[in-house]
Amino acid sequence: MATVTVSQISKRFGDVQAVSDVSFEVHPGEIFGLLGPNGAGKTTTIRIVLDIFRADRGEVTVFGGKLDEASKNHIGYMPEERGLYQDQKLEPTLVYLATLKGLDSGTARSRLAHWLERLDLYEHRNKKVQELSKGMQQKAQLIATLLHDPDLIVVDEPFAGLDPVNTRLVNEIMEEQRQAGKTILMSTHQMYQVEALCNRIVLINRGRAVLYGEVDQIRHDFAGNAIVVEGQGDFMGLPGVLEVRQQNSEWRLALAPGAKPQEVLRALAAREETRIERFEIAEPSLDDIFVSVVKGDQAGSGHPHGEGVTGHA
Amino acid sequence: MPKMWLVAKHEYLTMVRRRSFLMGTLGLPALAAVVLAIIILVVSGNRDSRPVGYVDESGILAAGIYPSTMGRRQSVELQIYPDHATARAALEAGQIQAFYVLDAGYLENQQVALYYWDKQPSESVQTQFDNLVRVNLLANTPDAIRNRALKGPDVTIRSADGSRDIRGNFMAFVLPFVVGFFFMMAVMSSAGYLLEAVTTEKENRTMEVMVTSLTPEQLISGKAFGLIAVSLTQLLIWLLTILLALAIGAQFTPVLQGIWVPLTLLGIVIAYFFPAFVLVGGLMTAIGSAVTDTRQGQQIAGLLNLLFALPFFFIILIMEGTNNPILVALTLFPTTAFLTVALRWSVTTVPLWQLACSWVLLVATAAFSVWAAARILRVGMLRYGQRLSLHAIIETLRSRQHAGGTYHA
Repeated sequence: MATVTVSQISKRFGDVQAVSDVSFEVHPGEIFGLLGPNGAGKTTTIRIVLDIFRADRGEVTVFGGKLDEASKNHIGYMPEERGLYQDQKLEPTLVYLATLKGLDSGTARSRLAHWLERLDLYEHRNKKVQELSKGMQQKAQLIATLLHDPDLIVVDEPFAGLDPVNTRLVNEIMEEQRQAGKTILMSTHQMYQVEALCNRIVLINRGRAVLYGEVDQIRHDFAGNAIVVEGQGDFMGLPGVLEVRQQNSEWRLALAPGAKPQEVLRALAAREETRIERFEIAEPSLDDIFVSVVKGDQAGSGHPHGEGVTGHA
Repeated sequence: MPKMWLVAKHEYLTMVRRRSFLMGTLGLPALAAVVLAIIILVVSGNRDSRPVGYVDESGILAAGIYPSTMGRRQSVELQIYPDHATARAALEAGQIQAFYVLDAGYLENQQVALYYWDKQPSESVQTQFDNLVRVNLLANTPDAIRNRALKGPDVTIRSADGSRDIRGNFMAFVLPFVVGFFFMMAVMSSAGYLLEAVTTEKENRTMEVMVTSLTPEQLISGKAFGLIAVSLTQLLIWLLTILLALAIGAQFTPVLQGIWVPLTLLGIVIAYFFPAFVLVGGLMTAIGSAVTDTRQGQQIAGLLNLLFALPFFFIILIMEGTNNPILVALTLFPTTAFLTVALRWSVTTVPLWQLACSWVLLVATAAFSVWAAARILRVGMLRYGQRLSLHAIIETLRSRQHAGGTYHA
């Protein structure tokens, strides 16, 4: 049974259709990535899943049913808009939030010591939250999300504002939680984190799910949608190329859906001033796929793969 | 423990540990104690405990009856002297602080002479001597009559229809005003705490985490219960201080003796206090949800407070004790009902239909305010840094669906 099932949900705010017919499932023991550009509808989708907003249409089930007080106790949520009581001390604040999740204060306190030490906050436990740095507050928020040992962890941009050391630490914690059988729904912009962590993803653009499935399968499907070229000359303005990025001595070309690498090669060969030393079809990164799908969507193709969603659930 | 009570406990403990609360709550009693101590010091410092003499040339005091103390402490000892010269010698020797001389023709001319050096005896000494004269003038009457005469007039203020009596001294007459004002202050201070609690939640951006742990209704009720407990704690401390101050003050000031609170007034206060608090709480939650920060909320709440304090502007009209249409309107209007009824209570009889209508209106408005506040909170809580427009508030209240929100994809 899926931990979270989202079936064709839609939500409109005034004139803005924030989410439209979005569907996906999140399974136990997986890290599921909710991807999309800014304003795509990711946070709204998360808020609908957590019953902060109610969908205009569609249905959401969590742990196989409607969200109630008992099931809320099994969810840990770290919103994008981080927030803790600024004028209160760290330790009692975290204990209070854990008791609201059904934990007794004694257990909360004993578990808290472990988390505070692990995240390097133990020395700061008696400080007011406002005295902590932004990164520390971010880690404190992560503790509030995990302290009651939830079965479903929903994290919105968990790596935002973290330095590389803490990013790696959060990465490790997420991986541990997955291995412990927890379900993780993660919204992020950081594609390399998604590639490293996520089993499956849904990509939302302009309120619609435009890509959905296993990360490996999606990359396999999109092979051919990116080209690596080495040489001299102008690689901009090629037909069927959505984005050109230079990485060291090589150029990475993201192709529009349907564009053929041979056509790009032909166009390059036709440019007299361009010299090609290497031309190969790249295994696309999620970054490339993200750009390809989002830009292709914006270019008016609407649904890059005809069906609107590439499904490999 | 149910989550609502967890919130209530958290709000209570957070608020009562704040320096501002401790200073506000304990500051008033501390100030009262200091003032009282200064008064007592000044009074006792100036008090002359030496006896006071008297010379009775009229023969009125020959019976030598001393008035019953009636539970009161006598200021000084009164000593009789056979003639003016002996009394004067005692005064010069410093044995007495002053002496009275009752003129031989006192019964005709009521002449009493008072002799002292530089400081006139206190008012209580003079009262004590007056009582001695009164008692002895009534030497031939039974004790009960004598004592009643000493007690002085007992004024009863009775409403025209005879349904209510107000007996007792001036303080008992004033007390309903004080009590009404006092409880109103408590309601308004709770409102301030609640406004702060809601805007703080929004400013700290904790609302999103909170509503994934409990419902907005549980959150609001928890905060309201916690903060009403804060107000009641403050009220209790102040009340105890006042009672203590009255008890101590009564030892020194006769006017404070025998103060009592009319039970009917107490009933009215209890009946109106809770719905008035709920109404204020609902309004403050709605304001806190709609604004961006505490300062903005306090500005709007300040205007709203005027609506609650409006009866004070009509105090002259209230003192006249009439059924003026303005007073009737203030009695019926939910925000002014509590204070108007409390103020009118001591001077007039508030018709039963007005009491019943105003209470029902107050309760209905309070219930509506909580319903509206929960809706506005749900929509406004995630509008970080954005104010909820009046149009959006009206739309929220009119919409059928309970959940709304802001566009923040």
